[in-house]
Amino acid sequence: MSEMREPGFDRIVALVLRVGAFGCFVIMVGGLVAGLFLKGQVPLDIERAGVVLMLATPVVRVAVACFLFFREKDYRYGYVSLGVLLILLLGSVFGIGEH
Amino acid sequence: MVTVLLVIFGFVAGLLGALTGIGGGVLLTPVLALHFGVPIRQAIGTSLVAVITTSAASSSVHLQRHTTDIRLGMTLELATAMGAAVMAYLVGYFNRSVLEGLFAAFLLYSSFTILRSGGKLKSDKHAAAMTPNGEIPPYTPKRYPLGLSASLVAGGLSGLLGIGGGPIKVPVMFIFMDVPLIVATATSNFMIGVTAAASAIVYYRRGDIQPGIAAPLAVGVFVGSLLGARLAPRVHTKVVVYLLVAVMLYLAAHLSVHLLGEAL
Repeated sequence: MSEMREPGFDRIVALVLRVGAFGCFVIMVGGLVAGLFLKGQVPLDIERAGVVLMLATPVVRVAVACFLFFREKDYRYGYVSLGVLLILLLGSVFGIGEH
Repeated sequence: MVTVLLVIFGFVAGLLGALTGIGGGVLLTPVLALHFGVPIRQAIGTSLVAVITTSAASSSVHLQRHTTDIRLGMTLELATAMGAAVMAYLVGYFNRSVLEGLFAAFLLYSSFTILRSGGKLKSDKHAAAMTPNGEIPPYTPKRYPLGLSASLVAGGLSGLLGIGGGPIKVPVMFIFMDVPLIVATATSNFMIGVTAAASAIVYYRRGDIQPGIAAPLAVGVFVGSLLGARLAPRVHTKVVVYLLVAVMLYLAAHLSVHLLGEAL
């Protein structure tokens, strides 16, 4: 199984994670800095955007891997990725417990 | 002011986590609950955001070294994500004392496990044996049913306690599934992001993630763990591990006192 891995695949997935992590870091820092100068809702909204993007990063990572597997005609792992994606999306639909 | 303290605390937790390889998530939830007055469910949700951030950053490094088994990771993620999402959903129905009690028990158990192994967390001996010249030996993951079941439990614990669960996933792959340690470590890191996201999304939808707390904490953890990963080879890990155990035991004691105070 280990020899089936190809460098391009790893690189694309790594890129998604890196853009997500560093992008969110920059946005969150932006929100914190904005909080030093601005009062009210704006800094908090920026921080919220950073948090939501952070939660979305793994979802995008699974979606991208899913696409890559199907493009390689590796259907087995394409469907595995699709399953993981489905679980993640179901969480966002049914994620309403008691408050 | 609280924001500054959150950044500093995140930084320290991230630093300790990366230096010891234990993951700072263990400290985030109890300190948020005990010292920042964050309700425990929000503390767990907030901690998960920081865990995702660290996983994404460190996993991208492992991926570029081609030590991650994406196929194995994705397969086990079916189980970890399911366990995490279901448990995160159930946590909505647990009361505070139950969660605090579970966390105290978890801290005691982890401390005990680390102390029993003599403070040796990473089996450097094995890691070295796995890569004689930077090459990963060929392998085929074995015992998938066992690996998947253990992953379901690991995912559940992650959703319950707001931790990454690396110390569970790595041995599952390394010992049960015969995956080389270097691959098991990278793949565990890879899986942590999706596992934590599966439960974090549920926490977020329930309103248990406050951006005003999560953002400064994640920023601190991010910088701390990057620095920790840089320093790790040059620092005497054993001392840091014992320091971490001391903090964990203190937090377990504090949680217990807190619980007792409420019961009386």
